[in-house]
Amino acid sequence: MADTASPLRSTSMGPAFESPVVRNYPTSEGGNLTLTDASATAKWLVRADADGPTADRLGARFGSSQMAPGGALVLGSRPGEWIIVGTPGEVSAAVADLDGLEAQEFMTVLDWTHSRAMFRATGVSATRMLEKVCGIDWSDHMTPDGAVLSASVALTTCDLARNDVDGTPSYLIFCDRSVGQYLFDALIDAGNEFGLTVTASSAS
Amino acid sequence: MTMSRQGVQPTEVIDRAAKLRFRWNGKRFSGFEGDTIASALAAAGEHIFSRSMKYHRPRGILTADYWDPNLMVQVGDDPNVRAGHRLLESGMDVRSQNAWPSLNRDIKAANSLLGRFLTAGFYYKTFMRPQWLWPTYERVLATFAPGGKIDLDTPHAYHDKRYTHPDVVVAGAGPAGISAALAASSAGASVLLVSHEHAVGGHLRYSSDAADQAALTELRAALDASDVEVLTDSTVTGRYEDNWLGIVQRNHPIAVERLIKARAKTLVAAPGLIERPYVFEGNDRPGVITPGAARRLINLWGVKPGERAVVFSANADGDAAVADLERVGTEIAAVIDGRTGGSVSSTAGSSRAVEAVMVNGTNGAERIDADLLVVAAGWTAPTSLLNMAGDRPIYDPTAARFFPSDPPSNVLATGGLAGDADLDGLRQHGAATGRLAAARAAAVRHRLQSRTARALPVDGDEPAWAPDERAPLGRDPHPELYRADTHGMVDMSEDISSKDLVAAAHEGYDSVELAKRYTTATMGPSQGKLETVNTVAAIAEARGETISEVGTTVWRPPYAPLTLGALAGRMFEPVRVSSIQPWHEANNVSVIQAGQWLRPDHYGDPAAEVRNVRDNVGLIDVTPLGKLDLRGPDVPKLLSLLYVNKWMKLGVGRVRYGMMCAEDGVVLDDGVTGRLGEDHYMMSTTSSGAGGVWEWVENWLQTERPDWQVHVTPVTTAYASINVAGPKSRELMSRVCEDADLDAEAFPYMTVRQATVAGVEDCFMWRIGFTGELSFELHVPAGHGLHVWEALMDAGSDLGVGPFGLEGQRIMRLEKGHFIVGQDTDGLTLGPSTGLWSLIKLDKDDFAGKPELAWAADRSLPMVVAIQPDDPDVVPEEAAQIVRGNTNEILGRITSSRYSPTLNRSICLGQVEPDLAAGGTKLTVLLESGERIGATVIDHHAHFDPAGERLRG
Repeated sequence: MADTASPLRSTSMGPAFESPVVRNYPTSEGGNLTLTDASATAKWLVRADADGPTADRLGARFGSSQMAPGGALVLGSRPGEWIIVGTPGEVSAAVADLDGLEAQEFMTVLDWTHSRAMFRATGVSATRMLEKVCGIDWSDHMTPDGAVLSASVALTTCDLARNDVDGTPSYLIFCDRSVGQYLFDALIDAGNEFGLTVTASSAS
Repeated sequence: MTMSRQGVQPTEVIDRAAKLRFRWNGKRFSGFEGDTIASALAAAGEHIFSRSMKYHRPRGILTADYWDPNLMVQVGDDPNVRAGHRLLESGMDVRSQNAWPSLNRDIKAANSLLGRFLTAGFYYKTFMRPQWLWPTYERVLATFAPGGKIDLDTPHAYHDKRYTHPDVVVAGAGPAGISAALAASSAGASVLLVSHEHAVGGHLRYSSDAADQAALTELRAALDASDVEVLTDSTVTGRYEDNWLGIVQRNHPIAVERLIKARAKTLVAAPGLIERPYVFEGNDRPGVITPGAARRLINLWGVKPGERAVVFSANADGDAAVADLERVGTEIAAVIDGRTGGSVSSTAGSSRAVEAVMVNGTNGAERIDADLLVVAAGWTAPTSLLNMAGDRPIYDPTAARFFPSDPPSNVLATGGLAGDADLDGLRQHGAATGRLAAARAAAVRHRLQSRTARALPVDGDEPAWAPDERAPLGRDPHPELYRADTHGMVDMSEDISSKDLVAAAHEGYDSVELAKRYTTATMGPSQGKLETVNTVAAIAEARGETISEVGTTVWRPPYAPLTLGALAGRMFEPVRVSSIQPWHEANNVSVIQAGQWLRPDHYGDPAAEVRNVRDNVGLIDVTPLGKLDLRGPDVPKLLSLLYVNKWMKLGVGRVRYGMMCAEDGVVLDDGVTGRLGEDHYMMSTTSSGAGGVWEWVENWLQTERPDWQVHVTPVTTAYASINVAGPKSRELMSRVCEDADLDAEAFPYMTVRQATVAGVEDCFMWRIGFTGELSFELHVPAGHGLHVWEALMDAGSDLGVGPFGLEGQRIMRLEKGHFIVGQDTDGLTLGPSTGLWSLIKLDKDDFAGKPELAWAADRSLPMVVAIQPDDPDVVPEEAAQIVRGNTNEILGRITSSRYSPTLNRSICLGQVEPDLAAGGTKLTVLLESGERIGATVIDHHAHFDPAGERLRG
């Protein structure tokens, strides 16, 4: 059953979303690495059998990602677990596409927007920045565009996805909201040597 | 020994247009960019750089590289800097170490006169008795400790860390190493080439041979055009399981050192060979150097190492040194050929310089005046990385060095470590090794990709493990030259002579491992690179055995010393904050760190915060309170399994308190769980238990009840959690809640409601509290937490609303008698000890801890009780012991204590023996001061409002 009548149902209602990243950072120019606070992006969590009808509908297998028809990005974060990210409209469309599946299998959907901070690191040096805070093999064959994984980043538990932008390496980094400011600072510290530009966006 | 800067050398690495000024023991010197500290000093004519560790003998250049044991200096506040390797920088303040009052006049050199008494084991033997004098011995000996000075006020330097996963790591960037890297890269492998030196090239760098230089140019150009990642001034310090490598990168642009943790699919060990000193009388006198030192000084830095030289040569490197020396005008007084039986017996001169060399050459024994003795006696194969991979190298007496035995197949040796050849032969072997490394790495890569969900799909089967079809390198014959017919220094780092080792062997320390530890030979900063084989040879000679029979010590990490800062790397210390933290910081908060969380402890006056909650209304940020979102039809069964009480009939909108016990019946956690929808529950845990309870729940679901349909999601920080407490809390909440009836009958105690609060949808509220007051525990989607907090503050200004922190909450929960798991309970506190027997339902089919709790039902257990000191002004320390009368028999302890601003008296919770748990029991509490005070157990846990009238509102 898809219990979308969650207390976390809507992220578009109410006052402006408050990001966990509250510090201001000077904007630099000329770097080849951009770090964006995209915490306001809608994020939903879907859980169901790893090989059931929900898995078939979402398409993204464990460890990979896939664009949903409505524009949301579906991340196969764990066996039987998916994160859907995008604008509220995109995510709503993706979730609505799951309607009816609850009758076929045990499946739940949860709005995770407020639970997770989300950052995007983009640039040719993004991989080098991540190498300084995470022990994962980021080579193209082990972590290609579209890859999804969980790892410790600067000692915080994160979900990550490689989601290249126009052929440039780009990574989505999700962490618990409460450590968002800490992790953002740690990423900036790691990325500074590559010429880092810090930006914020209301949606990815 | 007279050293001086010469004209421009074609291979030099200094920029003579870039002059650098620095200080050496307070005096002004200058050098050039590209100089090492040692080469700059040598060019200026300095020839004594340090004093030896034990005897304080003057020491000069020996190898003129990283491993030179005589070139340890202090640079600013940085001790034990290797002057043979550290590049000169403008403004450096360089000082000698281990000498007082000065390098030239060192009073401690008097130790030399006591040399015969300072043999190996001197400290062990001398300072054992009388035992009571050891503290005095220790103070005196500390003044003789070698090394530089540590400034405790030195700011922490920035150390960096990086992870990498190359297909192939090549340790060593000589011609074989570079060729291996290039070949591996050409074969499609990602390659990391690690050069210990400041530039790649190995021994080619300081060769004046035109063919060598042409090859070096070609190799460097090829590297520049390749995808090989090159690290210079870096060392592979250790090889661990599955080719997990530690690499220290020195002098990185943004960090003093960077520790690189590399997972290599194959490792190529190509460290080259290290020149081995020769043992003879006076072999540590300044002016005795290796041919490599002579050639580096001449060809890299344009420094003439002496005016008149004797060269003892047993190999081509010694011969090449002769040519280089002659080129810069050093007179060659004699060349003694070790291959034809020639030998060096001793040097003569002052303690500060060689003046003559006693040789046995073609002219028989003779004394030859000279200020320089160049000794080419052979090489040590630095097999460290192979040792760390489990290999036990084998000694070959015909080549007079060790060779690899049978390293793991993902560790390959090339270059001088593997054998001998001319330059082309070394390059060919290196290239073949690189291709083999790439082929084997491809197989490992295929395996890793096929096992990793996120990786690219693999094509076909895993490639076969490539066979080693390399043509082996040869082994050039070399005389076994370890010690002359005289004794001399074996370990110049530790001042250990061949006599010391022979004596140790005769004392029974005849195993090389024992002798090493007894004498400390090979344990100095050179890490055995210069000393190990000579040590083994000395032990072998003393035992009348061969080097093969004695064997070697095992080289362990690190290959080269590195700082603790490098090992620590960047410090990651995650900090958690709630979304309301900016408000706290702007409002005089005093923060307390609770685990990773930064939490408001108080805002200046916790007692006033308590009074305000009791009289008006207060807000506390309780975001860290653990929250688990539970969904599915089997949640009631899960709750019944994990809590000691019953859950199958909890209605929608209802909240129930529960206590969890571990399988041994010990209290694990407590909290409330509410039913938000038909199959939707929200479990709260203690703040400190949030992570542990989640693991506990998942463990039961995944391993014991995988068939249950329950999805658990930690949502602790999805919500900003605010407890609104106090008699005016309902009034305040009614001003911000838009769609919930807050009336006591519509929203009674122990229920949950969803509501829109301050314009934020999807908030939910519990009618519960920890303070004993009417309260609403409000959970707001975290991205609106600050907004709601500020809205509450604004809306309640006329109600006297104010914040309160953890300290105020602790006082109020103690007034109310709520225990805290982990503070009022411990790792042995069984569920019934909390006084909540009625909660434990042994008639349930099963639940975690049931058998133990059933067993406990028939036992008397220590109990948590509320205690009031007889003197209301005395607050016993938490953990103060409860004792029997004037004895020290312990009957319990105070677990929580505070002064209650509500009751104007001290109040406590404590654990006591069962016969002391009844209300009215008199206790004696032993304070930390030693004073004993009287106290009384009260009837209820609650010191305040035991009937609960206030919290029910």
